[in-house]
Amino acid sequence: MANITLSGVTKSYGSVEVIPPMDLEIEEGEFVVLVGPSGCGKSTTLRMIAGLETQSGGKMTIGKRDVTTLRPGLRNCAMVFQSYALYPHMSVRDNIGYGMKVRGVPKAEAAKAIDDAARILNLTEYLDRKPGALSGGQRQRVAIGRAIVRDPDVFLFDEPLSNLDAKLRVEMRVEIKQLHRRLKTTMVYVTHDQVEAMTMADRVVVLRAGVVEQAADPITLYERPANLFVAGFIGAPSMNMLEGRLEQVGDELFFRGPAGADFAIPADRVDVLRPHAGEACVMGIRPEHTHDRGGSGASVEIEVLDIEPLGPHTLLIGQAGDAKFTGQVAAGTRAEPGERRQIHFDLDKLHFFRASDGRAIR
Amino acid sequence: MSVRDLSGSRRWLAFVCCCAWFLFTIFPLYWVAITSLKTPPDVVGGPTYLPFVDFQPTLKAWRELLSGTRGEFFSNFWSSSIVALSSSVFATLLGAMAAYALVRFPFRVRLLSGVAFVVVAMGGFLLGRDVMGIAPASASILAFCVALALSVFINRFPLPGKVMGNDDIVFWFVSQRLFPPIVVAFALFLLYTEMGKLGFKMTDTYLGLTLAYVAFSLPIVVWLMRDFISALPLEVEEAAMVDNVPHWRIFFGIVLPMCRPGLIATFVITLAFTWNEFLFALFLTNSEWQTLPVLIAGQNSQRGDEWWAISAAALVAIIPMVVVAALLGRLMKSGLLSGAVK
Repeated sequence: MANITLSGVTKSYGSVEVIPPMDLEIEEGEFVVLVGPSGCGKSTTLRMIAGLETQSGGKMTIGKRDVTTLRPGLRNCAMVFQSYALYPHMSVRDNIGYGMKVRGVPKAEAAKAIDDAARILNLTEYLDRKPGALSGGQRQRVAIGRAIVRDPDVFLFDEPLSNLDAKLRVEMRVEIKQLHRRLKTTMVYVTHDQVEAMTMADRVVVLRAGVVEQAADPITLYERPANLFVAGFIGAPSMNMLEGRLEQVGDELFFRGPAGADFAIPADRVDVLRPHAGEACVMGIRPEHTHDRGGSGASVEIEVLDIEPLGPHTLLIGQAGDAKFTGQVAAGTRAEPGERRQIHFDLDKLHFFRASDGRAIR
Repeated sequence: MSVRDLSGSRRWLAFVCCCAWFLFTIFPLYWVAITSLKTPPDVVGGPTYLPFVDFQPTLKAWRELLSGTRGEFFSNFWSSSIVALSSSVFATLLGAMAAYALVRFPFRVRLLSGVAFVVVAMGGFLLGRDVMGIAPASASILAFCVALALSVFINRFPLPGKVMGNDDIVFWFVSQRLFPPIVVAFALFLLYTEMGKLGFKMTDTYLGLTLAYVAFSLPIVVWLMRDFISALPLEVEEAAMVDNVPHWRIFFGIVLPMCRPGLIATFVITLAFTWNEFLFALFLTNSEWQTLPVLIAGQNSQRGDEWWAISAAALVAIIPMVVVAALLGRLMKSGLLSGAVK
């Protein structure tokens, strides 16, 4: 068990800097998920922690050890790859035990470790099979088993569930979380799937173009996104954004947006927003905080483009002015493309961002 | 369109053409096989084709061959086997290592250091032989070593000029098979005799012939193995690296087993080359380590037109390769990588 500290870590390929100086502190025993769109540098960051990519600058420590220039094998990390990366010519038992065999762990001890790992991961009856005779989920469990017996300071997961089908992914998600609860080892997990990030992490680090946009626990990310990028990335379906302007009329503050989104800001938000009166801003509202049942004045008129009945509720995908807008309405609602609908907001759930730099106004 | 789509008479036509081609290719083998069963009068008395019908088969040629009454056949067979097998094993192993390095590690060779190598090697040799009066073999070996050390050393400095990468190195390897082997064979013979004068007997020795075969097989091995190794998933090796498996163990314990089909295919191709090789064997051996191809080619001039004996010897030279191909062909099957990734 160990904490990981990245101070000013950079990565460049030639003259292209993919990771500008990054500072990140990962606590001992923490489950941290790095999430972001493809090409945001999350896998590169993970591979730098593993030592598979050399860092171009900065300093990295695992526990009390400076590992900046240490080769991968000496960092005492265990890594699980998206593609499983099993040794195809070895049985499951040998796959899990190969590292121990190389390190010269006594046979009896190694056999016990393999059996324990196999029991935890429900692999006992497959120990003598080759990876080629296993399903995707079982192969990934073998890869995790290989990581467990390493007894590492840090577990690194590089999109381990991306190759699995949806149902298996949910099961494995739970298994990995239980594994973390059982082992209490520091885990760093990379994914592009924000649902995975939200459900598994103690703390989610949202990356864009190598920059940490926000690092916080899942609920904070969801309820108090630091900027437009995080607000749009976290949550599915993603947050609706309406560009508009804050205007002060007497004591009251109004948001004036497109498609009839013109309403007074609730009194408890006025103080925070008042300094930005007269400025362009972006209002955000999550689809799950909208409805079509009438009520207070805050609403927007959308032209329905498509309708997605999901079961518990139905999504109306539409256009409000120039912006896409998704409204969540009761299950069984019927609408035809081209129809116009009034979508109302829950005023307590509004987010406001500065139009200039996208930062949240709080 | 494939042959499977043909129907009716066209299908039959295709079948007949295939049969004709088969007969055309198999006939020389058949001819050698029946000739080895003929008596001398049957061979010289005009063509006969069918055993028991045209002529009465006899095992006389085979009996003579296997009883050793007709000279050094067994000794040649063994030297052929030993040299071919060991040089193929060495070349495949060495070439696989080189190919692995060329796939996984980027090399940068400066053109200028290559030029320096040629200049120093050639100039040093001339200087040593003509000016300092050193024996040609010592001079060339000395100049070669100095040139190699020097070019490796100056390659570390930022010399001007083109920098060559791994693809250039591979092309350089393959280019060694582009010129006629006689060029190398002749030079090698001179080098070996010069070394012989220094006390290292290289001509007509196991070491001399094997080294020549290894060197001449390496380009093909590197070229073939590079494709096999670059098809391997990198993550498997990275997983081993994270697991603190030393690099040499990753190579022998993971990389080599993973490209086993490629290794075997390359080994068989190399073996076919070294087993059948004629030119080097002709130049570099004369009695003790003479190989089968040289022996068989020499039969005609040594003993005259004893086609029955030559045929039997030729068949013996063919059979081991057929057996090897049959045994190892099954191991060349692909699909060994399944389960490694995805």
